[in-house]
This record gives sequence, C-alpha cells and structure tokens, in this order.
Amino acid sequence: MIKVEQLHKYFGDLHVLKGVDLEVAPQEVVVMIGASGSGKSTLLRCLNFLEMKNQGRILIDGKEVDPATTPLNKVREHVGMVFQHFNLFPHMTVLENVIEAPVHVKKVPRAEALKRGRELLEKVGLGDKGDVYPEKLSGGQKQRVAIARALAMEPSVMLFDEPTSALDPELVGEVLEVMKSLAADGMTMVVVTHEMGFAREVADRVVFLDNGQIAEQGDPETFFSNPRHPKAQQFLSRVL
Amino acid sequence: MTSFFENLISTFPAFMEAAWMTLRLTGVSLVLALVIGLIFALIKVTGVRWLGLIYNGYVGIIRGTPLIVQIMWLYFGITNIVVLSAFWAGTIALAIHSGAYIAEIFRGCIQSVDKGQMEAAESLGMKRALAMRRVILPQALKRAIPPLGNQFIIGLKDSSLVAFIGITEIFSLSMDNAAVTFKQLEFYTIAGLYYLAMVAMVTFVLSRVENRMDTAK
Repeated sequence: MIKVEQLHKYFGDLHVLKGVDLEVAPQEVVVMIGASGSGKSTLLRCLNFLEMKNQGRILIDGKEVDPATTPLNKVREHVGMVFQHFNLFPHMTVLENVIEAPVHVKKVPRAEALKRGRELLEKVGLGDKGDVYPEKLSGGQKQRVAIARALAMEPSVMLFDEPTSALDPELVGEVLEVMKSLAADGMTMVVVTHEMGFAREVADRVVFLDNGQIAEQGDPETFFSNPRHPKAQQFLSRVL
Repeated sequence: MTSFFENLISTFPAFMEAAWMTLRLTGVSLVLALVIGLIFALIKVTGVRWLGLIYNGYVGIIRGTPLIVQIMWLYFGITNIVVLSAFWAGTIALAIHSGAYIAEIFRGCIQSVDKGQMEAAESLGMKRALAMRRVILPQALKRAIPPLGNQFIIGLKDSSLVAFIGITEIFSLSMDNAAVTFKQLEFYTIAGLYYLAMVAMVTFVLSRVENRMDTAK
C-alpha cells in the first residue's frame, strides 16, 4: 500500500528524518509514537506530500511518486488526511464540507454526493448536523466531520496527524470510537498519536520513532509489555 | 450667511451634475481597481519569484509617487500614444492607483487565512487554483470588506485630483466658481459638504454590507 525507502528530510540545517524505511500493508493499522520532535508528524506529512522529502523513495500502491513528474493532487485523492486542528472549511456547512471534494475534484453528481455525504455523517454519528456551520460544533464533532470529509473521497489509506491532541479530554473517546470502527471496517490507517490505549487496542503494529529514525517496531502487545530499545523504555515509562 | 445659502442653491443643479461625474469616476475606477488588485494579489501569492517582482514593482512605484503625478503622467503620457478622453485618462489613473492599495488588502487577507485550510484542501485532492477559488478566496474576501470600504472612501475623495486635467467634477466646479466670484471659502466649503454627503452615503451602504456578511466572524 505504502512503502517508504531511506527517507531523509531536512528543515534547513535540521535533519528531521534520517533514513526511514516503512511499509504499510493493505488494511493494516500502523500507529506511530515517539517524543515530540522525533519526526513522526513530518514522516506522516511526507506520505501525502504536504512536506517534500529530500532523499529517498515513496511508493503508493506500488508506484513510486516523484513530485516533479506525478500530479500530487491525483495521489492525494487516494490518501485521506485528518489534522490535529481539524481544518474544516468555516464558510461551508458540515455537509458542504463533506461533499466539496467529491463534487469539485471527482465530479460526482451533486445529488449522489449529498446522499453519500449524509451516510458518512450518519456513520460518524452526526447525521443531524449536516446543515450547521463548523463553528457550532464541539472539537470532537469537528474532528468526526473531518474524518467524514476525508472518507468522502473514498481513499485507500487514511493518515491521522494527532487527531485527538487538540481535544478536551472528555471528547477524545468519541473520535477514537470512530477510528476504531474504521479500522474494524478494514481501512488502511497510519496514525500519529499520544493515545497509548488506542495504540495498544487497535494497532496491528506500533512504530516508535526517536530522533528521526525508527528505533523499534512490532506488535503492540510485545512493544508495550517488553520494549527493547532504551529510548522506547524511557518513553513508555513517562507516558504510561 | 445668506449669500452662502444663495450660492448653495443657485449652483445646486450644476453641482448635482458634477457630483454625478464624481460618482462615475469613483465607481468605474474602483471596479477596475478591484480587478487589478485581485489579479496582482493572486500573482503575488503564487510565490513565483518573477511574478513577485512585478508585484513589488507595481505596488512600490504607485505607493511611492503622488496620485497627482500619476494622473499627469497618464494624461500627458498615454494621450501621446492613444486618443483617450480626459474622463478615461482620469479613471484609469485612479484605477491603477487604488489597485495597488487594494492588491495589498487582498494579499494580506489571503495570507491571513490559516495555512491549514490550504493543506486540508490539497489533502482532499484539490489543485491549488481550485483550493484558492473554493476555500481560500471566500474566506479572504469576507475579511477584505472592512478595509476595502475604507479604500473606497479614500478613492472617492482622491477623485478630486482629476480636476487638474479638466474634468468637471465637484472640486473643479468649486475652483471655477471660487475664481469667478472670489468667494473661495464659501465654494470650497460647499465642495466639502458634497463630499461629506457622498461619503455618508457610501458609509451607509458599506455598513449594510458588513452587517449582512457578518464580517466580524
């Protein structure tokens, strides 16, 4: 599904990603964890080219994506993204947010997009909120709309960039529930999060980044009960 | 004082005609200025270097020289090449002038939209131009309304400078009357009153627009 080979990323002199190799299989849920500054968000953003790699290869669906020759908007149609700060379009209603890309990018007939949009809102538990503007919603509701909006493009993989980090604690659960149901439906997911409970319960694989490299990865049970890398041990002792 | 009101009333028909000229100059030049401003703002935010240099040159020259110089330059410069009425020379000069300030307003408002908006639009597969049109501009233009209103009022008053290329509008009519009657103070006060009334009208319309658009959000 996604394959990353020897990825390097610099911000000026700062070497953020130092040769990352990562493979994500279809229907796999990969959770990336690590201290802030470890490069996990940057790695995620490289996967849909919101950040441009400096070296290395990124393959999506078996094809290498070279930003110089591949139209990135075509690639991004298949790679959904959910942001920490939701980034809903404030001048559109919830339903308009959801149908915007299907109608204007995929050219889906409006009536069909509306029908599908309402189904998706139903799926994230917001069937009654289609006609309100995002400002009327709580953070958890906004993030669920953002998930529905990304799903409306029928992506083959979903990226989540700290989707619950900007939420009040009591709103985290409703977003994680939606993500769990997505995983159960077989969606391929790459999730950057600080929610260790979610990682433990839902992830097929946990990837621990430290200082721009993958320090350790494995199934969550083994990783959480018996981390081998000293940095991973240190990190887990602080967050668990 | 009686002479003031007599003068105000006796010149009323002529001043109404002149006021209509002022409104036409202002209206046409501001519509053109909005188009110029939007085009320049859009070429600036592409981030393409040479387009940015064109923008900087345009805004730098217009903001760096007085409007009266620009009007004279256009009137005596362009009319050497193409036949242009004083009205169009004045209108185009005003449009190019306001266009630079309006470009800065649009640029600022476009850049004030959170960059997460463009990222979200792009992550949904939208091309930059589509994202700009559907996502960024609607938010930016709404924010632009209060500063644009301010610029419209400045544009209305700045139109008085075309008096110097022989267009009969409010200010030139006052100059003519002042020269003939030697009642300078009275006629420039009358001119001021007409501008005050027109600005009040524009302000009223703008406040209605702002309320309807709820630009505070």
